Amino acid sequence: MITEAGYLALVLALALSFALTLFPFYGSLKRQMEPVLLARPLAVLMFIATAFSFYALSYAFYTNDFSVMYVANNSNSLLPWYYRLTAVWGSHEGSMLMWLLMLSAWTALVALLARSLPLILQGRILGVMGLVCIGFYAFVLLMSNPFERSLPFYPVDGRDLNPLLQDFGMIIHPPLLYMGYVGYAVPFAFAIAALLSGRFDANWARWARPWALAAWMFLTLGIMLGSWWAYNELGWGGWWFWDPVENASFMPWLVGTALLHTLSVTEKRGTFKSWTVLLAISAFALSLLGAFLVRSGVLVSVHSFASDPARGLYLLAFLLVVVGGSLTLYALKMQSVRSQARYQLFSREVLLWGNNIFLLTATLVVFLGTIYPLVHKELGLGSISIGEPFFNSIFHILAIPFALLLGLGPWVRWKQQPVTPLVKPFAFIAVVTAVISLGWVSLYQSFTANLALLGLLLGVWVMTSSVAEIGQKLRSFGGAVGLKKLTLSHWGMVFGHLGFAVLVIGVAMTKTFSVEKDVRMKIGDTVKLNEYSFVLSDVYALKGPNYLGQAAELEVYDEGIKITHLHAEKRFYPVSRATMTEAAVDASLTRDLYVALGEELPGPSWALRVYVKPYVRWIWLGGVLMALGALLALFDRRYRQRSIAE
Amino acid sequence: MRKWLFFIPLVAFLGLAVFLFSGLFSDPHLHENVKVEQAMPAFALADLENPAKTVTEKDLLGQPYLLNVWGVWCPTCNAELGFLTSLRAQGVKIVGLYYNQPTDSAFGEQFDLPTLQRDVARKLAEQGNPYQLNILDKDRSLIFDLGVTGAPETFVVDAQGKIRYHMVGDINPNNWPQLEAVYQQLVKESHAGVTP
Amino acid sequence: MKSLHTSGLLVALLLWCSNVVALEDELTFASKDQEALYRQLTAELRCPKCQNQNIADSHAVVAVDMRKKTYQLVQQGKTHDDVVTYMKQRYGDFVYYQPPLRASTIWLWLLPALLVVGLGVVGWRRARSSQTTGPNAAVTTQQTADAELQALIDAATRGKSRD
Repeated sequence: MITEAGYLALVLALALSFALTLFPFYGSLKRQMEPVLLARPLAVLMFIATAFSFYALSYAFYTNDFSVMYVANNSNSLLPWYYRLTAVWGSHEGSMLMWLLMLSAWTALVALLARSLPLILQGRILGVMGLVCIGFYAFVLLMSNPFERSLPFYPVDGRDLNPLLQDFGMIIHPPLLYMGYVGYAVPFAFAIAALLSGRFDANWARWARPWALAAWMFLTLGIMLGSWWAYNELGWGGWWFWDPVENASFMPWLVGTALLHTLSVTEKRGTFKSWTVLLAISAFALSLLGAFLVRSGVLVSVHSFASDPARGLYLLAFLLVVVGGSLTLYALKMQSVRSQARYQLFSREVLLWGNNIFLLTATLVVFLGTIYPLVHKELGLGSISIGEPFFNSIFHILAIPFALLLGLGPWVRWKQQPVTPLVKPFAFIAVVTAVISLGWVSLYQSFTANLALLGLLLGVWVMTSSVAEIGQKLRSFGGAVGLKKLTLSHWGMVFGHLGFAVLVIGVAMTKTFSVEKDVRMKIGDTVKLNEYSFVLSDVYALKGPNYLGQAAELEVYDEGIKITHLHAEKRFYPVSRATMTEAAVDASLTRDLYVALGEELPGPSWALRVYVKPYVRWIWLGGVLMALGALLALFDRRYRQRSIAE
Repeated sequence: MRKWLFFIPLVAFLGLAVFLFSGLFSDPHLHENVKVEQAMPAFALADLENPAKTVTEKDLLGQPYLLNVWGVWCPTCNAELGFLTSLRAQGVKIVGLYYNQPTDSAFGEQFDLPTLQRDVARKLAEQGNPYQLNILDKDRSLIFDLGVTGAPETFVVDAQGKIRYHMVGDINPNNWPQLEAVYQQLVKESHAGVTP
Repeated sequence: MKSLHTSGLLVALLLWCSNVVALEDELTFASKDQEALYRQLTAELRCPKCQNQNIADSHAVVAVDMRKKTYQLVQQGKTHDDVVTYMKQRYGDFVYYQPPLRASTIWLWLLPALLVVGLGVVGWRRARSSQTTGPNAAVTTQQTADAELQALIDAATRGKSRD
């Protein structure tokens, strides 16, 4: 019964999304207040209906109701209860329902939290969100219904959740990622509402920025968790593969990062308006494109969902309406908008424009690398593959000017910056950067100009400049009391930049100094990697709730002293007939020891893959620092003020 | 401000949409085989039924034929045996290239010829035998040189030993007409003594 | 073929191809360079059968055969490009993760370069033209309508407590 109620709640939510779209626009057209005021309660009701629907599906999973086809295909009575609940978003239909939950949650949040917005603007924003909602609710109800029953005949037990997804990282990775993707609907709605109203003042940018920050924070965390999950679950020690699905999340992230920066220009200086609006539209357009790429099956990816051309067609049509419509609106409306810009070549405006040049170029590179094989093949030119060597070679080049500008940016004033006052601090920063990075890299190698040195130079450059900038601010405020004077957005920026620096160092060091070995080991055997000796001390059979397997115990010694104990598993899930690797990882700030257990061989002996990965933690640490930066900036007081006199 | 600049994003997006649309109707898993329009690679492999005899690419010249990559371990291959046998009855020359699937691909291959011959004979007796000849590619060397990724795959080779067509997946009454057109064209060429 | 790609098959393919520990314990190399070359090649060559995996991480038969062939060729002292060419002659451009540079693929590098230059020129010119680019657009009809509605709302909420 509750399953049918969940379905009906979704139908109700669709009806509410229609109302949410119609009323605010009708009200502003007819100059009536009441329909505009209805937007808020409608948004909240839509969220409640969707949340109930999500609860109903979770309940079907929790109670093992295998008459629901989606449950039967993605769960099993032997699955522990927490994985039964997370199996809700383990496949296409349920993950779309989660997408709806997030979308309606953001809509309700705009209704409840954006109290400083003028009512008409808020109504219009909610109306645009409602329009986006209609498309997704109809998609789920028409072609991805998770509540479909297989009565009167249904299986006694389910086909089990994809074992790849039976992991803690998988519990939180999709919700965070979807919060990010869908979150870009809010800046998008702000942009469309502004296009419709014809108002793009500093207040507009100030109101839109916290939403762009929040979506970016979730997307950052979602991507980082996905990377961390792949590292632990896939057993090849990789953290990024430039797979189309990964790229689909990276593109809105890059554009979203550019958007955060131009929003501050639009807010503080009233310029870059048309560019900011275009970025806000693009970030969401790329989120939608990602959903299309992942769910339509046009690209070959490790993680794509089961594909269905009808779904692909629907999503493409939806993409055409939403993105094509908004870009048309943009082209028509934006021509008449003027910016009052007055700035010199050496100014913060220009440096932030530089930041945008490289972020957008990076986006274009990822976009081409993802889409071009499809275009190439459809033009009849044959199949090509675009992967790591291509992306890496270009990203290594783009990172250099980007990081150099990033170190400089925060020191440079709006409008115009005289060069002389910066000469002394930057001579100091350059010397400190050179000394630290050369010293650092010499711990690992004799001097060679390689990726590690480049990464350290860039990372340390950004770190030194960020720390020195804080120091300089404090001096000008007169000491430690200045700490209070620095705004939370300023701290947010510092953390964001430090996070980027940490990430760059992590990537460069891991790529340069990782070592790996594939070995065949008997119990008691030792394999040596760098200074570490891995001893296989035991292998034994394993029995979990829904899997069988083997576990290996290893002791790791550094010059005869035991430093850690590793426990690696290989699991076999009989229901889905799949074998999974649970890698053993000993993490520390400067290196990970990583062991994946493979097949049992005659002997008896076992195949093992052993890695030492220096600084791999820094990659995720950098992501967390960036997200923390966004969180700090979110709490800046100025985003909660009604309006600032212009 | 030039107004047309504001239309660039829209135009770019619409261009993209065209490719996404056409992408919906093509299988991203299919790639063209680069050996088409090239000569059969040189090989010297054993005849599966009569391992003492070595078959080379020269033995197959003179008449167009279908080179069908298959294995008893492959269900789709077994499913097409019946239809292929009916084609043989119509006079289509079909040569089997036996894809020897290792029992465990990563570590040492346990290969036992008599067992394999028995399995193949049983399967062909059961489903029909479309092959004039079965080439045993024990180490998958010819299979590698042909750029084969799995089974079944079929090459159409002309009388001069040039590969003219390639397809992935089973041959069935639905897709045979397309393949037959290619095959009959090659038969005509070989009768006319045309060298393409 | 497309109809065959039901979820079950996809999952099966995915699992078949993924998360394996490939064993190469017997592999010995004449030098560190050769070992590094082998590692680089197996990471850069794509398994033609799998979803999207390099041959180092795949367990598919074709990937295993390609690894073996790569090992043999590296042992024979072949260079990186020799091995890539050898594989491309059999499995096409598809097999290598670095796309070839030719007229049909030049856009992969050209478009990003043009974007950098184009946006750079825009930024340069905006900063050089120190005059304002014009007054704000005239008040639109939409803004007038909004102002009227806002007045209505203000009238209705006047007297109530405002936050």
